[in-house]
Formats: sequence, structure tokens, C-alpha cells
Amino acid sequence: MNRSKGKFGISPYLFVAPSALLFGLTIIVPIVLTFAFSFYDWNGFGTMTFIGFDNYVRAFHDRVYLLSYWHIFIYIVLTVILEVFCGLLLAGLITMKRRGSAWFRVAFFTPVMLPMIVVSYLWKFVYNSDFGLINAVLGSVGLESWTRVWLGDPKIALYAVTFVSGWVYAGYYMTIFYAGIQRIPNDIYESAYLDGATDRDIFFKIKIPMIRDLVDVAIMLCVLGGFQAFDLFYVMTNGGPYNSTEIVTTYIVKVVFSNMSVGYGSALAVLMSIVIAILGILTNKLKKKESDALEY
Amino acid sequence: MKKTLTVLAATLIAATALAGCSGSSSKKDDITLRIAMVSPGEGVIKVWEQIRDKYEDAHPGIKVELNYQEDAIYQSVGLPNLLSGANAPDIYFEWAGERLRNRIEGGYAADLTEALKQEGFKDVFSEGDFKGMELDGKTYMIPTASDVSNIIWYNKKLFAENGVEPPQTWEQFLEACEKLKAAGIKPIVSGNKDLWPGGNWIAHLVSRVVGEQAYGDALQLEQPFNSPDFVAAFGYARELWDKGYLNDSVNAIADDEADSLFFNGQAAMHPIGSWLVSGAMESAPDLDLGYFNLPAMPGGKGDQTSVLGVQNGFVINAKSPHFQLAVDFMAEYSSPESSKQLADAGAMPIAKGGVDTEHTDALSLSLIDMMKSSSMVVSPPDIGYNVEIANAFNMAVSQVLGGVKTAEEALAELDKTIAPLKK
Repeated sequence: MNRSKGKFGISPYLFVAPSALLFGLTIIVPIVLTFAFSFYDWNGFGTMTFIGFDNYVRAFHDRVYLLSYWHIFIYIVLTVILEVFCGLLLAGLITMKRRGSAWFRVAFFTPVMLPMIVVSYLWKFVYNSDFGLINAVLGSVGLESWTRVWLGDPKIALYAVTFVSGWVYAGYYMTIFYAGIQRIPNDIYESAYLDGATDRDIFFKIKIPMIRDLVDVAIMLCVLGGFQAFDLFYVMTNGGPYNSTEIVTTYIVKVVFSNMSVGYGSALAVLMSIVIAILGILTNKLKKKESDALEY
Repeated sequence: MKKTLTVLAATLIAATALAGCSGSSSKKDDITLRIAMVSPGEGVIKVWEQIRDKYEDAHPGIKVELNYQEDAIYQSVGLPNLLSGANAPDIYFEWAGERLRNRIEGGYAADLTEALKQEGFKDVFSEGDFKGMELDGKTYMIPTASDVSNIIWYNKKLFAENGVEPPQTWEQFLEACEKLKAAGIKPIVSGNKDLWPGGNWIAHLVSRVVGEQAYGDALQLEQPFNSPDFVAAFGYARELWDKGYLNDSVNAIADDEADSLFFNGQAAMHPIGSWLVSGAMESAPDLDLGYFNLPAMPGGKGDQTSVLGVQNGFVINAKSPHFQLAVDFMAEYSSPESSKQLADAGAMPIAKGGVDTEHTDALSLSLIDMMKSSSMVVSPPDIGYNVEIANAFNMAVSQVLGGVKTAEEALAELDKTIAPLKK
């Protein structure tokens, strides 16, 4: 307590400076600049013209941009089902302790270990309409009428891409739920068996309620992560055919790097951040109070 | 005391950092001539280095700095960054047409009209070499190469087996497609996932039908796309889909996937640029390859012998303080000796001496002839015009080629998409 004013000088700030500068330059400055750019008509070099809210007005009239939110909405709803619920189901199955369940655990987790870019290229070949695996298999079992141009049909492409995402991340969420289920003490199962519970009862009435918190977190991760989807779409369709798989991220990249509209692209990015922030707040508000959660 | 020490230390660190930045500019009396370009590949880079060495020997005290960038980067952010940066290039690579015009308007292109009359330049180029490089009677570019962006390649064997002749008119083209289709062969394959392959092809068709003027005006927002002429032109594209002449996967596969389908004989025709030759020689040496220009369109308002192509070359930066030195360097580059070296390295320079008629394959030669002798060169939408409008145009093309929209619908949507760009 005997620090005089003079002693508490500049040195502490100098010690903090490197990390503060690094954080500022890599995180804060880009955020502030993006916000600032969004009010300009600017192509990344050349002159910047201040145009007020014109970029934002344009965004609300941009058919493709608005459509991309609808696509991401479909994608998120489907991935919650394909990733979280399938993951839950898989976790329930592999914790039934049947013979060989360890093999299934590994098999379901394998796709998670592959880099997303590799997965994207792999499935691009699987879906290829001329020499792809799916059409070849369908053709060889006499289901020619079921063959499709999977990534070229605007009605199917979005679902085709979403399916791949489910194929990868179901294993990921399975692992999270598996870890949660492993923590449930064995005596609970034993007493349940003694009371005549089936595996089905155990899954729905013991396992799921007891990892309820994890499921909530997984759904939130899935929803907010959905907005970050990019690599899969970029490689497999890049928004095509006819913008039918255009999502917000691929569209922003197109606007900025292909159309060279840095100002407009910044406005789109700011809007996207606002949408995600609102969603995050909403999910927090909607989350049920913890009173009815099972304690163990 | 402590305080002053820390401040001193901080100043010292800052000073050394600044010194580190400025350390690269060494001797002041040396003049550096900077040249920026899209990386032309290893072989051609060696020739550039030879030309540089020769030039440096002839001009003591001058250093030539060559800067190569990857194509897509150079086109989008690379060149503009260089031009607005501190060490702007004195000479840079650019595409003729709309892009060059932007450079002229931005004040980055020097008038070369007089310079091109000097010794070393006046004999190596001919009249037709400066297409898209002139504005208001002044020339702004030293041409280096030209490329035909779209022609229709065909498999000679498949054509002969089915008694099909390369068509001259649209009616004959449809007949040929019908014959091939009847024989169980997919008439046309196109890999339009990235939208430019089909976009280039149909842009050429559109310019033939609506006339080059209307085509250019529409792409520069001076007239709407949704007009009867454009509807008719897009209708021809839609017809190809409706009659089943195109591969179902037209908008699902990329251009290289379409190349391989064509090389494997799974389709008889493939509309793409002149660069297919080198790929074919490598991947399908046995393929008997032929080409024809887009057939004449019925009642078309444009030049029915027009060629869709791009020409490129080097521009001298109007802001460069070393104009004459830069001109001299380009004269060295355009000399018959350099052109021969470049040709040996696999490039196809436009200057005289560049094309070795004995060793270049016949297809490439006839393509060069086609470009040189054409009375009208049409620019593809994504090289000649604003890229955002080009992307919207190509999207509309893909919608009719893939049969998801009628010509009217696609064009109406196109006008709607580009509406915010009109200011």
C-alpha cells in the first residue's frame, strides 16, 4: 500500500503492450475496420467513397444474400437432426456394451479425423454423375431411374452437401455424448435392469435425461457452427447450381474476392455477425431453467 | 531514472524496427526497372531471365526486377496492390479490352503510340495485333499473346463414324447434334460448374445474335438484358438442353472434368478455349481433334464470323519515371530473337519470329491464323467487362443451359440481380 504515484509508471503498460498490441492488431482493428468499410463503396484499393447506409439497403434487396440465409436455415435444421440426434442415437447404441461396439465407435469417429477439404473432394467424386460411386451402385442394382446429377440438381444439391456434413459430425457429437454417458454410474443401470427396464427404456429414460445438458450444448454448437460452414460448400458446389447452395459465407467470399466489393462485403459480414449475436442471445434466453435437470 | 531507461529502450526498439524496414533500399544511384506479370511457367521464366541479363549487360547501372504472381491473385488483388504500392512496377502485364481501359482511366497506362514507331517495334507487329489496345486513336499496349476463348472442339472419329460434317450454320449444328444423339452419343459436353465455360460459349452466341454493340452495351449496363433479341439468343441455348444435346451434369462438373469426358470419347463436341490443345496432346494423344468456330446464327445481327478471344500484352506505367528504359526493355522482349526463345519455351508470342511454323502443331497454327484474320474479336464477359455483371450474366446462362429457367425468366432475374449496380 505504499506505492507512490511515481512508482506506478509506464513499465506495467510496456509489459502488457506486446500482447495487447497483438490482440488489438489481429482482432480488434479488423473488426473495427470491417465496420468502418461497410459504409464505403470501396474495391480494396483505389478511392473510398462514403455512401452511408447504401450497402445495408442494398443487402436487404439482394436476392442471393437473403436466399443464403434460408439455405443456412435448412442446413442448420437438417444438421441438428443428422448430427446431434443421429450422434445421440449412435452414442446410445455403442454404449449398449454389445460385442464389437468398440469397432463401431472407431468407424463412426473416423470421418471426424479426416480434414474437411479431403472429405469434400472425396464426396465430390462419390456424387459425380458420370463416374461417381452412388450412380454406379444404383445403376448396377437396376435402379437407373434413381440416378441423379446429385450436385447439379438445384432441388437436391443442398441436401447432398448437408448429408456429408452429417456423415462427418454425427461421429463427433457421438463422442461427446459417449463421454457423458460413460460418466453415468453403473449401479443406475443395474437397478434399472432389476426393475425390468429394456435397453430402449434405459436410452430414453436414463441416458438422454442424464446428459441433457450436453445435448443442449451440442445443439447450440451445431446452430452457431452452421453459420461458419464454408469449406464443404466451397469445394463441393461453391454456391451452385444457380445459387441453390449459396450460404452466407460463400456469398461474402464471392462478393469480396470475386466481385472486389470490399465495402459491400463488409456490410454483409457485419449483418451476419448481428444475426449470429441475436441468435446467441435468443438461445440463452430460451434455455430452460436448470431446475428439472437430473442430478447425479 | 528507471522510467527514462524504459522509454529509452522503447525508442531504441522502435528505431531499429524502422531501420530494418528501410534497410532494403541500398544504393541510390542504381535504377531499378520493375516488371510484374502472371507467372508464365518455368520455361518461359528462364527466357525472361535471359532477356533481363542481356538488357542489364547492355544498360550498366540498371537493375531489372521480375515479379511473378499466380493468375487469379494477379487478376484480382495482386496487380492493383502493386500499382498503388510504393514500388509500383514500371511495366506490367494486362488484358486488352475493358481491363486495359480501366488502367488508362486510372492513369496507369502510358501512351505508346509514338514509342511503337521506334526501331525494334515497327517491324515486328502487324495491323491486327492491336485489337482492344487502342483508345481514341492512341495505343496503350505492347501485344504479347492472343488466345481464342471459345471454339467448338469435336472428335473427328465420332463425326466420321456417324456421317457428320463440321457445321457451318446453326441449323446444321442442330442436325449434327440430332444425328449423334440418335446414334447414342452425347453430342455436347460442357463443364460449367464455375460458370465461365458455358458463359463464354453462350456470350459468343449472344453477341452473334444481338450484335456486338448491344452485347457490349448490355454488359456495361447501357441497356437492359431482357429484350427480344437476348430472349431469342438465350432461347437457342435453352433449346440445346430441351433437346437433350447437353450432358445432364452441365452445371455440376468443372471444366477439367468435361475435358476428360471429351477426351474419353464420351461426348462428340466440347465448347472451350484454344488451351484444350495442350491438354489433349498430353492426356489423349490418340484423339483425332478438330474444331470449328461457332456456327452462323439465323438472322443474327452480329458479325457471323466473329471470334471470341482475348489479347494481352504489357503496359508501361504512366507514373514510371523510366519510360524510355521501359520501352527499350520491351523492344528487347519483342525482338525476333527473344520471340524465338519464347516460342521454344512453349509460349506463343504474337511478335514476328514467335511462331515456328514447322514445329508448332497444325491446330495451334490455324487458331492463331483465325484470330489474326478475324474481322471482329468479341471479349468474353469476364475479361472484357465488369466482373460482377459478368458473373450475373454467366449465372443466367447456366440457368438456361441447365434447363431450370426459360430465357425470359433468366434474363428478368439477371436484370434484377444487376439493378443495384446501376448508379
